[in-house]
Amino acid sequence: MKTIQTDVLVIGTGFGAAAPALRLAQAGAKVVMIEKGPRVQTADFRQTSDPKYVLKYLKGTPGDNLKLTYAEALGGGSGFYEMISLRAPSLAFEQLDDDGRLLWPADVDRRSLDPYYDLAERMLHVSQIPVEEIPKTGLVFAHLMRNLGYSVDRCRYAVRGCQGSGFCVTGCVYGAKQSLFLNYLPQAVSAGAEIETDLEALAIEPLPARWRVGAPLRDVPYRYRVTARRRTGERELVAFVARVVILGGGTVGTAKLLLASRPYLPKLSEHVGRHIAYNGSVKVAALLPDGVPDADMFTGRTHPGMVSYQFLGSHGITVHAVKAMPLMLVSAAHLRLRDEPQAAFWGAPNVELMKQLRHRMIILDAFGLTPPGAALQVRAGDARVALPITAQLRVYHAETKRILESILVRNGCRLVETDFLDKTFMPRQGIQFSTAHQVGSCRMADAKEHGVVDASGAVFDYPGLYVSDGSAIPSSLAVNTSLTILANAERIAAGLIERYRLPLPGGSQAQAA
Amino acid sequence: MQDHISRRLALKHFGLIAAGLAAACTPARVLVNAYPQTFDDDPELVDRVLRAFVTTVIPGAAADDPDLVRALTDPDYPFAQFAAFFAADLTRRGERRFGEPAFERLTPDQRAAVIRDGLEADATTRKMYNGAVTLAQVAFYAGIYDAQRGCALIGFEGGYHWHPLSEITYPDPALFLAAALTPDGNAA
Repeated sequence: MKTIQTDVLVIGTGFGAAAPALRLAQAGAKVVMIEKGPRVQTADFRQTSDPKYVLKYLKGTPGDNLKLTYAEALGGGSGFYEMISLRAPSLAFEQLDDDGRLLWPADVDRRSLDPYYDLAERMLHVSQIPVEEIPKTGLVFAHLMRNLGYSVDRCRYAVRGCQGSGFCVTGCVYGAKQSLFLNYLPQAVSAGAEIETDLEALAIEPLPARWRVGAPLRDVPYRYRVTARRRTGERELVAFVARVVILGGGTVGTAKLLLASRPYLPKLSEHVGRHIAYNGSVKVAALLPDGVPDADMFTGRTHPGMVSYQFLGSHGITVHAVKAMPLMLVSAAHLRLRDEPQAAFWGAPNVELMKQLRHRMIILDAFGLTPPGAALQVRAGDARVALPITAQLRVYHAETKRILESILVRNGCRLVETDFLDKTFMPRQGIQFSTAHQVGSCRMADAKEHGVVDASGAVFDYPGLYVSDGSAIPSSLAVNTSLTILANAERIAAGLIERYRLPLPGGSQAQAA
Repeated sequence: MQDHISRRLALKHFGLIAAGLAAACTPARVLVNAYPQTFDDDPELVDRVLRAFVTTVIPGAAADDPDLVRALTDPDYPFAQFAAFFAADLTRRGERRFGEPAFERLTPDQRAAVIRDGLEADATTRKMYNGAVTLAQVAFYAGIYDAQRGCALIGFEGGYHWHPLSEITYPDPALFLAAALTPDGNAA
């Protein structure tokens, strides 16, 4: 088996992995990144609804009452996200668990993250959408909210030169969306980092080693061996020996890897794979009444430009409109008008409904501060997620749905029933959540009895092993998670540079400070 | 037309699905006994039946669209292994209910009644009919076999159609906007 020695091994290339790789490489460390998915660039993307293309990159973790979606490709989810880049509201950092304990470590809150948000925003060219570029659906959403006296804010995006094609989620063919392979990753390579794709980490083993506490990186011995396997070709095994290992493979990937490594890491926290938060997305659809201008489901950036914080303080939710391409919509739900309960989800009534999809249908979506109640279960390498539907969650779902429906009904909209489907296209019963905002499977905490890593991202009881991705984020955020994951990863990277006495790279924590 | 899997294999797959479902399901054997060999031997027969099925599910879809039933027989999707059986089941139900041995010769209302029968039958059959309807809808509305084609029936243009900003937004956005709570889009 080929063995590669490196100062730092970063597992993953997404939002949680890119910042530590770049900053440590800039600081002079030898950095290797490994990515399970394929190498992609702008030229690889297609504006298509071919499921075979979409499923090449987007993967799902099925489960009970919750379904997770994530990307496997260079840059992780950054190639396929809607480029929404919002800071988590302060309220998100103030959430408590059932025992009244803060979910976030004491040192990490919005204020402490703000300098790293600044840094991440500069790297991704994040800015608020100009008024004159708000897509029609966003304007119609704002119009509905204004009719009721509610507030709406223009959203923020990581994009330069958006062409408004509506195909953000299949990858931006214009290179306008700021995916990580346009910024962090090439800069990391320029700084000396190496990136290996098509390589899946299988297990982490500690090596026998002794070192002086607080030693600089050059004096720290090789402490971990990570075994990985090529996913194509001869599927050969490759071993990496590293002084520091940073896990950035995402909420599902990092937890799976740590669980697979537990035989070698017996002191791992019992919380690995647990406490997954998911932003409790609740969606409601309706047809617009006469007199309201047309929306447009298919043109303009995928996220329609506006977000409402009207109910954040009172209900812990943000509200926005959703645009969905036919592939995503029809494969996700059967649609029927609520006031025509006998109408089938197929045939002439359905065709008439589908004809109104582009211009007359509006879909509202709420993200909420739902508690981190889901857990990952891995059997024979296959992951499932389980979310118990508690009384608290039922109340949240019902109340959130009531708010969304009320917005629509009071505007004269006709509600559309959305019967969400499982992977065999059968309607799911009961409350079902789906998300790409899963976080928390290896959450930060002040002590091992509450989490997997400390506030610096260090895995409890395993010096030199860190988690810097969404799995370390301990709570729902009520907004898209990518910017917070990136900002927290920048914060962890700054801590690593300080801890291992590396020289300050220009533009990292110096700017953040 | 894709290569059809053997009847034996189709029955095996169907049996596996049936075995995983609730005990209340009609035994797969009852259904399987009504699966004439001709549906394995004559892909054009299956194609005719499936076209009649899709145009019933999606009135307004062109019956001569070369991609109309492709997803139902595409070996990359699991339904393909049931396509011949499904066509046979539509035919059997149509004949039993209306005395017409060719599903495609039923009236649209009669075909719809047959499909409703399947969607209201035992759990295994419901799953098969539900999957066929939804897969046909996904393939048609999303235009999955031609990136640029989309679906004219619902105004979906597919990919690679550029729109000027004037078509994406309205010229007077201020008329729509509500009061903002934040100076920059980020909640405090």
